[in-house]
Amino acid sequence: MRCIRSSTGPSIVFVMALSLPWSSPALAHVEQGQAAGFLIGLQHPWSGFDHVLAMIAVGLWGAQLGAPAMWLLPVTFPMVMAFGGMLGLMGVKLPGIEIGIALSAVMLGVMVLAEARPKLMLAASLVSFFAVFHGHAHGTELPPGQNGLLYSMGFVIATGFLHGLGILLGLLHRWPAGKLALRSAGAFIAVMGVTFLWGALK
Amino acid sequence: MNRTAIVALALVLCAGTNTIVLSHESQPGILELRQVSRDRYEVTWRAPIYYGRPHPARLVLPEGWKDTVEPTVRMLPDSQVFRRVVTVGDRGVEGIDLRFTGLEKTVTDVFVRLNRLDGTMMTVVARPSKPFAKLRGERAWHVTAGEFIGLGFHHILSGVDHLLFVLGLLLIVNGRMILLKTITSFTVAHSITLAAATLGYASAPLPPLNAAIALSILFLGPEIVRSWNGQTSLTIRYPWVVAFLFGLLHGFGFASGLTTTGMPKSEIPLSLLFFNAGVEAGQLVFVFTALALVRSFKILEVQWPRWAEALPGYAVGSLGAYWTIQRTAILIGGF
Amino acid sequence: MAGIASLCCPSSAAAHLVMTGMGPVYDGIGHLLLTPEDLVAALSLALYAGLRGPISGRRTMFLLPFAWLIGGIAGLAVNALPTFPVSAVSFLVTGGLVAADFYMPVSAVMVLGIVFGFAHGFLNGVALNEGAGILGLLGIMIMLFILTAFAAALVVSLNKPWARIAVRVSGSWTFAIGLLMLGWFIREAK
Repeated sequence: MRCIRSSTGPSIVFVMALSLPWSSPALAHVEQGQAAGFLIGLQHPWSGFDHVLAMIAVGLWGAQLGAPAMWLLPVTFPMVMAFGGMLGLMGVKLPGIEIGIALSAVMLGVMVLAEARPKLMLAASLVSFFAVFHGHAHGTELPPGQNGLLYSMGFVIATGFLHGLGILLGLLHRWPAGKLALRSAGAFIAVMGVTFLWGALK
Repeated sequence: MNRTAIVALALVLCAGTNTIVLSHESQPGILELRQVSRDRYEVTWRAPIYYGRPHPARLVLPEGWKDTVEPTVRMLPDSQVFRRVVTVGDRGVEGIDLRFTGLEKTVTDVFVRLNRLDGTMMTVVARPSKPFAKLRGERAWHVTAGEFIGLGFHHILSGVDHLLFVLGLLLIVNGRMILLKTITSFTVAHSITLAAATLGYASAPLPPLNAAIALSILFLGPEIVRSWNGQTSLTIRYPWVVAFLFGLLHGFGFASGLTTTGMPKSEIPLSLLFFNAGVEAGQLVFVFTALALVRSFKILEVQWPRWAEALPGYAVGSLGAYWTIQRTAILIGGF
Repeated sequence: MAGIASLCCPSSAAAHLVMTGMGPVYDGIGHLLLTPEDLVAALSLALYAGLRGPISGRRTMFLLPFAWLIGGIAGLAVNALPTFPVSAVSFLVTGGLVAADFYMPVSAVMVLGIVFGFAHGFLNGVALNEGAGILGLLGIMIMLFILTAFAAALVVSLNKPWARIAVRVSGSWTFAIGLLMLGWFIREAK
């Protein structure tokens, strides 16, 4: 999935090294190492540019669609994505993850660009379909030996904030100039998606 | 405020009731290390009397430290003072751990101060949860600040007598403005005496002080009953006056948690400031928890039975009475 | 009242002050606040009870800490950890219910609170065998009561539709975390 690595990579390794010594008894108190697990989880969704763009696109599109989609997407997306993550954790193989993620950026970018207004169920299904890929990639990439709970919490919260960021930007939709800005953002995401796709197919 | 709902506060108080007897047993221990020559230090360990007996904690010095004169022990009414003069060898004292065995079984904090020949000094606090002190160079001010804020916070939340007094005030006070005035005057008053006591302008001997603080709580009991019955009194009309007067007493009580013996004059105002900030933070947490609980009960439409409504008021009155008797007995026994 | 029991034996409180240095009751309070398995799950349950209205919120406020205490005493006595992923399941159940704003009668919410409290209390009891013991449970109970009251009352007082949606979003996050934890559990079990 990682087409473009951000510079957080080395720091993740560092924090991981710090947090290796502890195991994860179910009821242990939060220790420094576990706080590190939370931070890694928090960083993880930001570490892949493709993922960041797709999450923001979900928020943007939701805001364009207005209520109730604006609310439905942030409620359903984390659940479906976590379902993908669970499949990844359980070792269930899913074909074409990288392509799916790149395609999601292309599709969502195009939707934002076109201000497409499909039926609510269709929009939700489309987003959910891609959410599985995103979650699966994160599930298989989870660093071993981490405290599952704190990592997952950080991960879900960070993803939620990316959606929130998208929705917040999407509020520009109220103004004509904002509409244009949103559509060009959609175009940018779609173009980036194509380059990710190129990288995945090569 | 809806005093019917404050019953849950009684529960909150129970969190502290375990420390009731400890509230006046929480004087800190003090360990002072004074450099007298390059490798020679005077070590003074003042262990407070704990439940009427010598303190169970023992100071353990590192292996290489050798006594140069015979160690001495002095018994004081409120403490035992161990004094030794040691040579520390070539390693010096930097990075050395001083341990207090048995401290983890108590509720005593130990203030450790190191005064060097060059006039620099450091302070560190050993706690039951961390029964050792690491000696090292001077610290950044914010480390000290954090330590003293924590100390103040800890001090008020483990001092049930202070919390019970605040609870009593909450039970009497009716309306937001009066509440604000009352809490503010309590804060101002105890800040004044805390500062005066810490800076050495005034002092109060502990046994009568503790009895007086208990009396201040007992005093609120009948006032609470009076306010239930719709009667009025000076206290009910002007609770901030009472809060101010008794606040002066409680400030001396807080000062017992912040002993600055041996601390350089320049460091006292800062630690005083942050200790007080910690006390205020703890007090605000308590007040806001109480008010938010009352509000939550209202939203959840809780109907309390009569005995539950009366419980917090009676808790204030009867515990105040109990402590007054107990502490007066200690006071008289002490003569 | 349990609180009065703790009043009668203040000296026993001085016996083991290990973690916060402020006594076992405070240790219990700290335990709850620093253990997200319990904290997040309990808050999530309280939010759900609040979504169902003041009656279920109020009953949960009393029932949950009590069931937790009973479970805790059982845990102290039995002292064996179950292999069942309790917290993952309670994240899934409570999170799912909040996210869906699922309707249940008050009696069902109460049963949920009792089962949930007993299970988490049991785990706490096993954990506290080493440290704060029964007084630690008391601290947990006090904090649970306060937190449940706050969370449930907060939800009951919300009347703007978007605010309720925000609560549901938090439920979906809890559910998502529960799914990941379950995946984790299955992977570890393999």
